[in-house]
Amino acid sequence: MLQYVIAGLATGGIYAIAASGLVITYVSSGILNFAFASMAFFIARFYYFLHVQHNWGIVPAAALALFVAGPALGIALYYAVFRFLRLSSALVKVVVTLGLSVTIPALATIIFGNGAILKAPGLAPEPVRVFDFLGVPVTLDTVIIYIAVVGSVVLGAGVLRYTEVGLKVRAMVDSPAMTSLSGSSVGAISVGVWAVGSFLAGLTGVLVAPNIGLDPANFTLLLASAFAAVVAAKLRSLPVAVIVGVLMGVVTSLIQWKLPPSSPWTGELIEAIPFIFIAIFLIYNLIRTGRVSETEGVGGALDRAILPQGESQLAGSTSVATLQTGSLGLIGKYAGPAFLIVVAFILPVLPLPSYYTPLIEAGVAYGIIFLSFTLVTGEGGMIWLCQITFAGVGAVTAAQLATNHGWPILAAIVAGGLVALPMGVIIGFFTIRLGDLYVALVTLTFGLLMDNLFFTQGIFQNSGLGVNMAPPKFVSGNIAFTYFLLIVFCVVALLVVNLRRSTTGLALNAVRWSEPGSRTLGISVLQMKTIVAGLAAMVAGIGGGFLATAQTSAQPMNFETFVGVAWLAVLVTAGVRSCSAALFAGLTFSILPGLTLNWPTWTAQVPPLLFGLGAIGIAKFPDGTLAEQGRQFRRLLFKLSRQAPPPVLEGVPQDERELVLGEEPPAHIASEVSS
Amino acid sequence: MTTEAPSPPVLAATEVTVRFGGLVALSDVAIKVPSGTIVGLVGPNGAGKSTLFGVLSGLLRPEKGRVFIKGEDVTSATPMARARKGLARTFQQPELFLGLTVREHLVLGYRVRNERHRLWRDLIDFRAVFPPPKEETEAVEALLELLDLTKIARTPVAVLPLGMSRLVEIGRALATGPSVVLLDEPLSGLDLHESEQLSESFQRVVDNPDHEVSLLMVEHDVASVLALSSKIYVLDFGQLIAEGSAEEVRADPAVRAAYLGDDDAVATAPPARNGAVATPHPAVESTTGPEGAGE
Repeated sequence: MLQYVIAGLATGGIYAIAASGLVITYVSSGILNFAFASMAFFIARFYYFLHVQHNWGIVPAAALALFVAGPALGIALYYAVFRFLRLSSALVKVVVTLGLSVTIPALATIIFGNGAILKAPGLAPEPVRVFDFLGVPVTLDTVIIYIAVVGSVVLGAGVLRYTEVGLKVRAMVDSPAMTSLSGSSVGAISVGVWAVGSFLAGLTGVLVAPNIGLDPANFTLLLASAFAAVVAAKLRSLPVAVIVGVLMGVVTSLIQWKLPPSSPWTGELIEAIPFIFIAIFLIYNLIRTGRVSETEGVGGALDRAILPQGESQLAGSTSVATLQTGSLGLIGKYAGPAFLIVVAFILPVLPLPSYYTPLIEAGVAYGIIFLSFTLVTGEGGMIWLCQITFAGVGAVTAAQLATNHGWPILAAIVAGGLVALPMGVIIGFFTIRLGDLYVALVTLTFGLLMDNLFFTQGIFQNSGLGVNMAPPKFVSGNIAFTYFLLIVFCVVALLVVNLRRSTTGLALNAVRWSEPGSRTLGISVLQMKTIVAGLAAMVAGIGGGFLATAQTSAQPMNFETFVGVAWLAVLVTAGVRSCSAALFAGLTFSILPGLTLNWPTWTAQVPPLLFGLGAIGIAKFPDGTLAEQGRQFRRLLFKLSRQAPPPVLEGVPQDERELVLGEEPPAHIASEVSS
Repeated sequence: MTTEAPSPPVLAATEVTVRFGGLVALSDVAIKVPSGTIVGLVGPNGAGKSTLFGVLSGLLRPEKGRVFIKGEDVTSATPMARARKGLARTFQQPELFLGLTVREHLVLGYRVRNERHRLWRDLIDFRAVFPPPKEETEAVEALLELLDLTKIARTPVAVLPLGMSRLVEIGRALATGPSVVLLDEPLSGLDLHESEQLSESFQRVVDNPDHEVSLLMVEHDVASVLALSSKIYVLDFGQLIAEGSAEEVRADPAVRAAYLGDDDAVATAPPARNGAVATPHPAVESTTGPEGAGE
């Protein structure tokens, strides 16, 4: 047992350091850093680059990686990205950090090399010295982890408790607005906190590398477990995050001790434990307080007043976008989407190399799945990170029904969507009382649980081959199936557009912007959110079935949660409220990697780099690049027709029109135009 | 000969008590809002006005007391259920749906009340593609006209100034066909011109022969409340200290004590809960202008 406790303390120590880094950056900037694991990977990879690839000694390599590169990365990211996000909506913050989580590993691979690194040294000299503690072997790497945890906690607590800087940080945790008004620079404090947070990411990465190698996916999975401690700390309490992190490591290790090592379930259950912790913490808090939100207990009235309201920065929903869109005629509104649809219909018959044909086919299927994000995030305003899981459920269900039970393929695909639907409804129901960030965390957790417990089943894996799927017989060949998928896409997109314009869409819009206003109007927030959640899950399920058909087999590994994170990043880059952006994003996501097939190996990292950079770009263009381009076009039309009042303001007397639009464009329009 | 039983008030609350920890926010408060009237609710900061609004609209559950809509006990009903029974409200900071236009706010309010099934059915019957029913168009047009919003009907509310936003919120509330609308400080933040326009709109609403509706208004601008309301309730430190017409309230010594710290009035007024003498309240200065000067 002691052996398991010692191992658990080491794992828990890693969780604790990671959770500390996540909590301090969250409280200082309001950003839950989903890129923490990628930052940890980058710095650990840099340490490996210095120490192994360039034979630097441990001390200089660690000093440069941890004490220079680590803080420098945090400071650089703060100045380049994070400082623009303080008053952004939760969606923008989440997507930007998700974008970074895609970009940073790609960048690391381009800079430091492409080879897989299964074993990486830690901070202990090789061969690693082993101590004997009460008959249990303890490696020097493990001892260093203990020292790092204790050192971080003591130093962190000391700085926070006894120094002026610590006082300012604690003041900022309580009320950023009042801290700012009392003369302290919130920006300067944030720079320091991001430097420390990034150092902790690097420390986590270097400490954990000997156990999991240098694989970004392993880093992400391990550090996602630290989210359990962050949730337990309600995102803000450093001591709770540290204690729960350590406890979770020990409990996980002890459970591992009790489970039979030969059972195929043991490994899966162990990986699932942190996510079960998250579920327990959330359910406990929901029962205790009725609601769990990241805005609870944040500052005073002034802080609450400057918090982002609703999803104030989603595509097409900003006041200017709404006003300018409403001012355009049919051509202005629909020229862009129509052009894109036409291009998509021409694409399959263009004389491109043959390997593009299945990529285009899959791209349209991705577009169908991406429409589920358009529904749940674009229309419903909910940050769901598990749409890919619903797509996977749809795919494996359809494959089982069609291939193993002889169902017609289309009926099987629809059935796959219908299986996903209640899952979406249930998650929608249980997340109704959670704040945006918690919804993102819960859906991420659900996806990871499904990755570990559901998709790993042999019946779906089929020895790693997946289950074959063939398109319906009435569409023979890739091109015909691509056109069939395009028609399906158009039908689903029309349903989305109908929903947006319907009473349901109006009510969803109402719920998204003001829950108190909706409730007192007689609209059920629960009803509206579960409707859209269920529909989105069904669309994702159906899209997943079509994607698996396009890829000729339902392969569970194609539906891993972190792949879905990249999907969301790509879609939000294009525009999360636009159906045409869903198609554009789907085609881009599928085709862009194909462009690098005949180029040097490192260029394979360019598409994820671009996807990530695009997502980071929404810090500047919150509505997405496609929506931004559309808006630029509309601005042009708006300016050209500036002499005449926009149709939405027809008949408004000049003085009232100036109240609405101002003599010059009002400040928020002017700033958008200038940006 | 039989006498017709008097109709119950559209909204009533009896013995409402709310505590937040050790603080008694409301103590045995009772109010009635008769049909087709404007009733005012005034009081200094911290008097408990917003708490009472929360209780009436169902956002807060009282520790004691009952709330009735048209004689029906709705104390345990949710805000949504109360909305369906004819209670609507506005908020001090307008709770508008920033992705919608002025007209869409009214259309949504109308449909939630009159065509509730469309919240579901529109998804499958594509009814949204077709023009709306004539009754809906007429009702919405009439409301736009009543509130003088016709000219900006297609404008997204996100770009509207505060005064217009308040009107849209009131329009949305009225579109649900309510019996009573709770107005939470509707005049705050408005300039004189906007206040006058909004006050005129309130009068037009209650005078509208097509639909009888009452307004219960919480407002710091006491002069406006006195001018508009047929009955006024005055709260102080969670207690109802006066009720009656504008003249009666103006003359009430307890009100003068609460607002002015009037020495004579203080002698006859109930002490404040913490034993301190109530301090003058700036809001009441407007009652001591020409109207109050002669008293």
